[in-house]
Amino acid sequence: MDFEPKILGIACNWCTYTGADLAGTTRLKYPQNLRVVRVMCSSRINPSFIFRAFQLGADGVLVGGCHPGDCHYNTGNLYARRRLAVTKKILEFSGLEPSRFRVEWISASEGNKFAQVVEEFTAHIKSLGPQTKFKIQE
Amino acid sequence: MLKKTTIEKINEVAAALIQKGTLIAPVKEDAGANFREIKDPREIYLDYYNTVLSPKNVFLPQMEDFIKYKLTKSPSEAQQLELNLKPAFLFGVRPCDIKSFEIMDIHFNAAGIIDPYWKARRENTTIIGYAFDLDSPPDQADFYNTLFIGAADPEGSDIFMVKRGNELLLKGITKKGETLLEQLSMMPEGDDKDEKYFADYVQRGKEKRTRFMPLDDEAVTQKYEDIFENNDYWTKVSDACLSCGICTFVCPTCYCFDICDENLFSNGTRRRIWDACMFTDFTLEASGHNPRTKVSQRLRQKVCHKYSFHVRKYNVISCVGCGRCTRSCPVNIDIYSMVEAAMKVQS
Amino acid sequence: MTNFKQIEENLKWEAARLLEAGSVSVVLAYTKGMDEKHPQPFAAKSAADAANIVFNEYCNHNLARYIMRYTPGTKIAVAVKAADSRAVVVLIQEEKIKREDLVLLGIPAAGMKNQKTDEIIDDKTTGGLANPVICDILLGEEIHTGKKASPYDVLAQYEQMDKEARWEFWKQQFAKCIRCYACRKACPLCYCDPCFIDQTKPRWAVKSPQEHGNLMYHLTRFQHLAGRCIDCGECTRACPVDIPLYLFHKKVAKDCEEMFQQAAGMNIEDKPVMVDFKVEDSDKILE
Repeated sequence: MDFEPKILGIACNWCTYTGADLAGTTRLKYPQNLRVVRVMCSSRINPSFIFRAFQLGADGVLVGGCHPGDCHYNTGNLYARRRLAVTKKILEFSGLEPSRFRVEWISASEGNKFAQVVEEFTAHIKSLGPQTKFKIQE
Repeated sequence: MLKKTTIEKINEVAAALIQKGTLIAPVKEDAGANFREIKDPREIYLDYYNTVLSPKNVFLPQMEDFIKYKLTKSPSEAQQLELNLKPAFLFGVRPCDIKSFEIMDIHFNAAGIIDPYWKARRENTTIIGYAFDLDSPPDQADFYNTLFIGAADPEGSDIFMVKRGNELLLKGITKKGETLLEQLSMMPEGDDKDEKYFADYVQRGKEKRTRFMPLDDEAVTQKYEDIFENNDYWTKVSDACLSCGICTFVCPTCYCFDICDENLFSNGTRRRIWDACMFTDFTLEASGHNPRTKVSQRLRQKVCHKYSFHVRKYNVISCVGCGRCTRSCPVNIDIYSMVEAAMKVQS
Repeated sequence: MTNFKQIEENLKWEAARLLEAGSVSVVLAYTKGMDEKHPQPFAAKSAADAANIVFNEYCNHNLARYIMRYTPGTKIAVAVKAADSRAVVVLIQEEKIKREDLVLLGIPAAGMKNQKTDEIIDDKTTGGLANPVICDILLGEEIHTGKKASPYDVLAQYEQMDKEARWEFWKQQFAKCIRCYACRKACPLCYCDPCFIDQTKPRWAVKSPQEHGNLMYHLTRFQHLAGRCIDCGECTRACPVDIPLYLFHKKVAKDCEEMFQQAAGMNIEDKPVMVDFKVEDSDKILE
């Protein structure tokens, strides 16, 4: 029985999304389970997106942003780092596997890293199995 | 007909009722007792004064689904949900709550548009009332005597229970109740002494035990009409109020609800859920205007509705003095004290 | 032992004095409710009103939540215990009220009781911190005795639970929720108008009291109060179905303190942790 996880990816426009683009143009292979949503900055991410994603059936959520210090808007990702760290702690205390939510800093030139992270994360989510705790049972 | 059993043996009665249909009885929960549908007769909990939430949930569920529909590109038939009720038995309801059902009937089951869901549940349910224990003091928050309700009033129940030490005496009050009582063969019939005890108990229950003030419906209605614009009074009274909504949710005679369409992916349900006039956005209009932005306005609405407007329209105060709102209020607001104070305000 | 009678006398005296002199237009304190065990929050607006003020071990209500009701610029005196004073600090940090518009009547208190159970709840309110962190006039003796417990000790058993058990625990707790929103209204820092849960564009959670709606509401609240919750326990005392919300808020507060070396509501010069960043923040916090 092959479990194909549904993974939500939220990528910041200037770094991670461009990095993902680079992975594509250089024909790097990475699993197709990631569904990417583009945001202008990682600090645009409302933590409720993460909770909602898990409720709507995501098995994993991967957030990508610029490296701290390199944010296109100077400080966005510095706020996001703090905010999403709290989100992770909340998920953990509620009993969800905290490793289902991952934040990575991936720059525009790190196509390789993007592919690698997606590969690792997908494999990890596969090993954890489907996410059933938050998922709304219809 | 009068039958008797003991508190220990009540499980047998419960088991029989579960066999017949749905049994809703008090169970012990973290915050206190509450009425729940029970499947295991041993869950029944009778060592309680009154429940935290009122039993209105039995006839007006907090969440009730009406219609299911699909969100598809092409139109599809919505599906109206059938009620499909098994006979229900509401066990252990206090007299003040039983009176509340009659008051609620005015809104759901009397004139104009009849609520078919309320009506079906009401007709389908046999009510087994339970007198307050006359040998224990009443809760200080209660004031049902002020609303002319006695601690052991059997009116409104189908079967009514009173306690005698370890025993429970059950008497059929309506034909529905008598029929059920006949079917509960595990209980022996009572004798003349038991009948007398029951009658005396009901009589004793009429004596004043809770907080009491002589409340004339017309006088209190008029008073609230007179002080409606008295901003000083209403601001003072609502200074502590959080405008949270607990009082509305625990109240047996509050009935406001909201209809909402809730969707998940391509499936949707239209349902009814409880609403509260105490919520900030209760009167928020589509234009963005909200006539009741202040807590004092919302509290005024709540109190005047129950003690004034309702009397004008339906000739009865929409309150049964059960004391739940006072017990549950996070800031200890007490409606009895409010009414007492209002009556003293100069018009 | 906290001398409640003395504090009450001092509170009444100060309130009357401030109102008489016109230094403030309102004093937020407590008054007698149905009886001594059921005090109500009270806004005294005249010296005559001040005569009705009480203070006893059941006066747990966090008066800071009423500050937001008054027009900005109103001069307000507030009776604050330890946790309440922290809430005031957060409101000042968030620029909801100016320090100069407030007269803080500090009340050091130990031996505060839950009015329903009569148990002493000092540990449940800001971990036994007895003295206000900020005040203008101290109404009682500062308390420096008593064991210094950590406000986070109570979390140990929950942190040690395995994930599955903890999920079952919270699942069961949130299933009890009837969405009365008392927790939100009781909290001094939930002042948003409109609250996220009331918004329709987008609809973050369903209005009906279903498990998934309840989960979304509560988890989002925990996030919104991160670094702001001052551990007064009011949310839990207000809850009619006894959900131990204070545990989760405490956990988030503990994590914020560990990750960002700052506790909520201690100094008015601090910036709340969620609207601040330090370049030295470590990526370790995301692990």
